[in-house]
Amino acid sequence: MIRVLEQQFSVEESLDSLNLFIRKWFVSKYKEPSPPQRYSFKLIKEGKNILVTAPTGSGKTFSAFMAVLSDLMNMSLANKLEEKVYCIYVSPLRALNNDIYRNLNEPLSEIYANLNIDVKKINVGIRTGDTPTKERQKHLAHPPNILVTTPESLAILLNSPRFMENMKDLKYFIIDELHELANNKRGVHLSLSMERLAEAIGHDFVRIGMGATLHPIEDAARFLVGYDNKGNERECSVVDATWNKKLQFIAMSPVKDIMNAKDEEIEKSLYTTMNSIIKKNNTTLIFTNTRSGTERVVYNLAKRYKYGNEHIAAHHGSLSRETRLGVEEMLKKGKLKCVVSSTSLELGIDIGSIDNVIQLGSPKSVARVVQRIGRSGHGFGNPAIGEVIVTNRDDLVECSVMLDSAIKRHLDSFNTPKNALDVLSQHIVGMALNKKWDIDEAYNVIRQSYPYHTLEKQDYMSVIRYLSGMYVGLESRRVYAKIWYEEKEHSFGRRGKLTKLIYYLNLGTIPDEVSIDVVTKENKHIGNIEEEFLGRLKPGDIFVLGGRVYRFEYSRVMKAYVTDASGQAPTIPPWYSEQLPLTYELAVNIGRFRAKFTEAVSKSAKKEKRLINKLSKSTLEANKDAQKILDDMPIDANAKNSIFSYFMEQLLFAGYVPNDKFLLIEQSFDEEEERNLIIFHSLYGRRINDALSRLFGISIADRHDAEVGINITDNGFVIITPEDVKVTDKEIHKIIRELGSADLYSMLKANIRRTEMMKRRFRHCAARSFMILRNYRGIKIGVRKQHINSQAILKAVEEMDPNFPILKETYREIFDDLMDLPRTTRIIRELAEGTIGYKVISSDIPSPFSHMMLTFGEADVIMMSDRRKHLRELRKQVLARLKEMSK
Amino acid sequence: MMEIYKGVYIVGGMPLLFIKRLNALACSDLHLGYEGVMADKGIFLPKTNLSRIERMLKKGIQITGAKKLIIDGDIKNEFSKVHMEEFNEFREFVNFLKELNIEEIHLVKGNHDNFIDRFEKPFGIKIYRQEFLLDDVLFFHGEELPYSKKGRLLVMGHLHPAVGIFNSLGIREKVKCFLYGKTKDKRDIIILPAMNYFSEGIDVNMSRIDDTPIFRSMLDIWSMQVAGIDYSEAVKFGSVKELADIL
Repeated sequence: MIRVLEQQFSVEESLDSLNLFIRKWFVSKYKEPSPPQRYSFKLIKEGKNILVTAPTGSGKTFSAFMAVLSDLMNMSLANKLEEKVYCIYVSPLRALNNDIYRNLNEPLSEIYANLNIDVKKINVGIRTGDTPTKERQKHLAHPPNILVTTPESLAILLNSPRFMENMKDLKYFIIDELHELANNKRGVHLSLSMERLAEAIGHDFVRIGMGATLHPIEDAARFLVGYDNKGNERECSVVDATWNKKLQFIAMSPVKDIMNAKDEEIEKSLYTTMNSIIKKNNTTLIFTNTRSGTERVVYNLAKRYKYGNEHIAAHHGSLSRETRLGVEEMLKKGKLKCVVSSTSLELGIDIGSIDNVIQLGSPKSVARVVQRIGRSGHGFGNPAIGEVIVTNRDDLVECSVMLDSAIKRHLDSFNTPKNALDVLSQHIVGMALNKKWDIDEAYNVIRQSYPYHTLEKQDYMSVIRYLSGMYVGLESRRVYAKIWYEEKEHSFGRRGKLTKLIYYLNLGTIPDEVSIDVVTKENKHIGNIEEEFLGRLKPGDIFVLGGRVYRFEYSRVMKAYVTDASGQAPTIPPWYSEQLPLTYELAVNIGRFRAKFTEAVSKSAKKEKRLINKLSKSTLEANKDAQKILDDMPIDANAKNSIFSYFMEQLLFAGYVPNDKFLLIEQSFDEEEERNLIIFHSLYGRRINDALSRLFGISIADRHDAEVGINITDNGFVIITPEDVKVTDKEIHKIIRELGSADLYSMLKANIRRTEMMKRRFRHCAARSFMILRNYRGIKIGVRKQHINSQAILKAVEEMDPNFPILKETYREIFDDLMDLPRTTRIIRELAEGTIGYKVISSDIPSPFSHMMLTFGEADVIMMSDRRKHLRELRKQVLARLKEMSK
Repeated sequence: MMEIYKGVYIVGGMPLLFIKRLNALACSDLHLGYEGVMADKGIFLPKTNLSRIERMLKKGIQITGAKKLIIDGDIKNEFSKVHMEEFNEFREFVNFLKELNIEEIHLVKGNHDNFIDRFEKPFGIKIYRQEFLLDDVLFFHGEELPYSKKGRLLVMGHLHPAVGIFNSLGIREKVKCFLYGKTKDKRDIIILPAMNYFSEGIDVNMSRIDDTPIFRSMLDIWSMQVAGIDYSEAVKFGSVKELADIL
């Protein structure tokens, strides 16, 4: 049973549950327990599983550790502490592990310094990929009482019989930054490790989860605790202290009217606004969403306001480890005035105190903005303060609704990959190495893990058969088989001398990625793109790299060949893979806001019909309803004006504003490129639009036997057809009807079967399943080598068995994790049934709400001027048309 | 069957050449034992290469009634030794051919075929180091230029030719192909695609292969004609140059 707790214990009750010396130390440092601690101290002492979500820097770590230290201290004083591991702490970040290691040793040495008794002291050990062999061997001989580690290192320890001896009396298992694990395969991997551990030591342990808030929080708790061996959900108490900390935030438009402001004006004002906030505070943290954006902001702030390296710094994943550590050190010492980060400082590493967070452009998720702004303000006493500065009109609406949703606590949901067969393969190999298993016994252990609770027996068996090499003849199994499987005996176990080494050297879920060289036909090197990005490119696509525009021609062995395409509008957003996708829930919230606000605005729109050329001065003040809606949102006056005029313009020009229950489809024509545009205002987030756009694309391509282009954004998608391929309104109706009853899964499967994306994801899944090893017999197999003929391998596997576990997992990953086919299917059904309405309109000029889609918005928020030209041109045409209409 | 020269055919949509006047099938680059060699490197592919090759040859022999088989190099995969799996597959392959009443098996050694001479006697096949002439047809592997000036028709392998095309979904694919045309000294030449299933080939219309030594001195790759396979019948695609220009 998962219980969400509302009533915290009293300060006294909480402190009473601590060991006297621990309590003394705690009170001397912190005076009294913070809100999450007033739940956790007592509950952990009582041996309850608990999930605590709270903002970073809120004493979350000690929520878990004080009670654990207290218990161990009692043992220490009673001289009952043995050389055994009593507590395991796992976090996804090595940097965080180092922090925790330090933060635990500090109180311990202070406490023991004041104790004049000779007792065995609690010791803490750290073990990650960085830990030297000597240190690891020390752990074997003298195991630490608290082991700080990563999911991958833990999985290795599970197969060390000697170390497992030391874990027999494990009492606590702590997962930190749970929100960074519960939504991906790394977390799935950890979840199985936990169940294997409990099985191996023969008893359960107290599970403690910590992290930023997640929705639905009950699922996060289920992820933490799993199911017992009878299939019942284990108990867990949930404490959501996220909202105990006051959040003060506002969405700001840098200029009064973002619709009409010139680029230079917006850019100038953007930096002025940022700088005034920086000046007011001791330390400001700026989030930009992309690495390139981070660099640009640092460069511009330094240039404009004469900040030196000692005042301002960048922090992102492409920087070297030393550089990042240096920046973190300076922050801890309070030396930096401002730090700019893409996403890397979002996690809980210790960076000292931040007064203010600036978010530049939408971070695409309510949970994320709450977490980022939550990095400011010390402890629970001080509010977190943040400004979200928007960079364009869609961004403005999005950020406004995002903050409004945050206030209303409407969080976006997370999704744990379910029944991932590749991660399962790894663990079955690991399990087989430990002992001989009865098939059902192992199946039951696996299903205790939340992500595998619904694992089908036949899928499980297909993994067993694959791992035992049953897909090749008997004579080759000696080499192929990773496990031994006896059908008659109904059991499996270890096989082969090399298997243990394969497990050690290849476990983990993070795929090796490849950086693709971008070169001209003359082989001149231009830069690099990620492989994921290449997978999206079709010949003829135009994209931005390093501030210049190129046309993609073709790719060959890790190289993408391009030609110069200066002056043309990009057809693919840059840094596609780096861009965060808009979440479904936030998208729908924006849709709802659109519906509500349109209703209010339409009153003004009727009156304004004759005064259209005074549009910019149109009257928000005169529209009480609209004013009221905007006043209730955490946005500044500039933002209100801009939102109002944006909606007015759309309504006056097109007559319709799309929303979550109303899909606007626009037929238009691109004069410059001489091609037809079909614009779908499907505001459902990119994961759904990815699937949705392909389905419409396939339908149109099939009907006309023509090639179509597709642009996907968070707010909708555009289907581009050649000039002579004209899709009629009637056809669109027909396509929607047909899709409503079509087998979408098969349609998409056929579409992606031969794509680069499929090949790449298959390679990842094959590597995770140990079919393609990255490291074998001491030979590291380069990613380049792994590339060999994925097409032929895929085809061979497909023909051998269409349900081959690795193949099945590849499709699952694409349809469930990368896209969101279940929700896409629902939306299409609703469209066909009429629950979601739609309207097809035609216009030679695309309507204002589609402009960002056609120009791809500012994917990189700071690089405005290049991409805004096209946007300005479109808007000019809209205004001219509106003027004509009013005559 | 598609006739590319008089009495010279591409058999079905397969990487098999039939020369009527010799009553012989020719193929190249089988790379037997491929999966076993890959498995040793940690890549565990389903075993499919040999059975696919056998299926194609069986069909080819049924269609043509050929009594001779010429393997134009690289029957096996590993350079430095004979892998156990290679030996097993090699043995199975020869036995399979004998059951199909192939009377003569000629093998031109390719760059992967070291240490294979020892199989000549026990398996009753003829092995040639560089090239060999059968009537007016000169077979050579293609890694090096042929020495002999004899032969009106030259047949080589080694290159693994393919063409890059975009299918109806706009997705780039490679299609294995035969290349045929004239050498600079005006002899007919045919370049065989690889029999090996896992070889996707080199897309000649997209890659710069015209400056490799063999093409520089012997023939102009751009003028070669392309016949794509992997369909139920071979399909003529025009010249390499034309294909390169379209893309």
